[in-house]
Amino acid sequence: MKDFKELRKKLIEETKKKIKASVKKDNLIIQAVNSIDEADRAANTLAKRLREWYSFYLPEFSNSIASHQKFAELILKKSKKELLAEIKLSPEKSMGADLEKEDLDAMFELAKALGGLYNYKEKELKYLEAAAKKHCPNVTALAGHLIAAKLISLAGSLEKLSAMPSSTIQLLGAEKALFRHLTTGAKSPKYGILHEHPLILNAKKSEHGRIARLLADKIAIAAKVDFFKGDFVGDRLKKEIEKRIKGDIEKNSRGNSKGRAK
Amino acid sequence: MITPLKFYEIFEEKKGKRRKLFTKNLVRGRQVYGEKLVRDKGVEFREWNPSKSKPAAAIMKGLNQFGLKPGDKVLYLGASSGTTVSHFSDIVGEKGMIFALDFAPRVVRDLVMLCEVRKNLAPLLENAFKVDDYKDKIIHPVDFLFQDIAQKNQAEIFMRNVDAFLKKGGYCHLAVKSRSVDVTKKPGKVFNEVKAFLRERVEIVDYRELGPFEKDHAYFVCKKR
Repeated sequence: MKDFKELRKKLIEETKKKIKASVKKDNLIIQAVNSIDEADRAANTLAKRLREWYSFYLPEFSNSIASHQKFAELILKKSKKELLAEIKLSPEKSMGADLEKEDLDAMFELAKALGGLYNYKEKELKYLEAAAKKHCPNVTALAGHLIAAKLISLAGSLEKLSAMPSSTIQLLGAEKALFRHLTTGAKSPKYGILHEHPLILNAKKSEHGRIARLLADKIAIAAKVDFFKGDFVGDRLKKEIEKRIKGDIEKNSRGNSKGRAK
Repeated sequence: MITPLKFYEIFEEKKGKRRKLFTKNLVRGRQVYGEKLVRDKGVEFREWNPSKSKPAAAIMKGLNQFGLKPGDKVLYLGASSGTTVSHFSDIVGEKGMIFALDFAPRVVRDLVMLCEVRKNLAPLLENAFKVDDYKDKIIHPVDFLFQDIAQKNQAEIFMRNVDAFLKKGGYCHLAVKSRSVDVTKKPGKVFNEVKAFLRERVEIVDYRELGPFEKDHAYFVCKKR
């Protein structure tokens, strides 16, 4: 029993040290990217509320502006008159009610808080960009800092990401669809978080799967280089992807015309 | 009214059809995970929530043997933040000792804080598959072994530890999550495979499926030959 008392003390101490040592850059990047995601979601909810609220006062303005951020900025900066002039509407034609100053101020507090949230997001993005470039330059060069950070977040760490095969990377973020596919035999997903990548967003729908596969291939290589601190090869990998995409499309269209000729 | 169950230091309260499980609180006045504290005749009990703790779920499903008793030496694999560990700590009492192991730093952080409050707990931040890494850090053989690790090869990990650390005739419990073993297979099939695997190596004394408390989970109570 006495042994245990001492052993326990030693183990608590040792475990504390291990936990302290386990905090890595990965963890910080993951927290930052998740925080950005959540700030995004919170900002959207609040912005919708603000628009709803402000529309009692000036309903015609909300539809004229798509960006939530600009909306919050403008209603703080300009008066009702100026805003009406901006959308070329005479005050008599507006459906908005006249509100007292204290009611307006309550609303503007929300607009200020929302502005702060957008401000926070921008700063956090800058931090993330610098951190990602330093921590995983190659993956960042291929996927951009946001997707690179999300990939690390989904994998758990850069080490785990570097140990993943490209097929797994391709489907990170599509776990639900993948398991639905495996258990019920539904269609298999083509991509997970990679669908946010500009190369995929800008491609034809029929090309999405192929490009996702290509991207995942090169990201798998890049992650390995990053984890084992190799030289920068991001540029080369990216060029290879772009070349392949072009080549594939050309080859494809040639193949098709042949098919039609028969 | 809180009455003792047939297992050591585990209690129940019946109200109509509702049944609640309790253990005596080892550290008075302190909650671990937001569970209810109940006083009965000067003794403080902590409610043992079967939806949060697999052994409690297994008891609710009518387990016949449990095997954990006061003063036991316990190796607990997959302790997480210490929800179930805290109840085991209540059961073994001041004379018992529990080595609580988990691999994820995040949850062990909470576990360490629990260990500092409860004198019969010691934390280990180790990989349960690498038995050699921690064989010198614990006092073995242990009287009781518990494993709740949602891993593909969890039965293999279980047997490794049973072979290395459990005394002959000691009880060992295994909670199996079929979705971690193989999502594509039907849970019943996975459980049968695990059962066949275990039967060759230990004596299975009880087996329960844990629905509706835990989906697709099974609970094995075994004894080392």
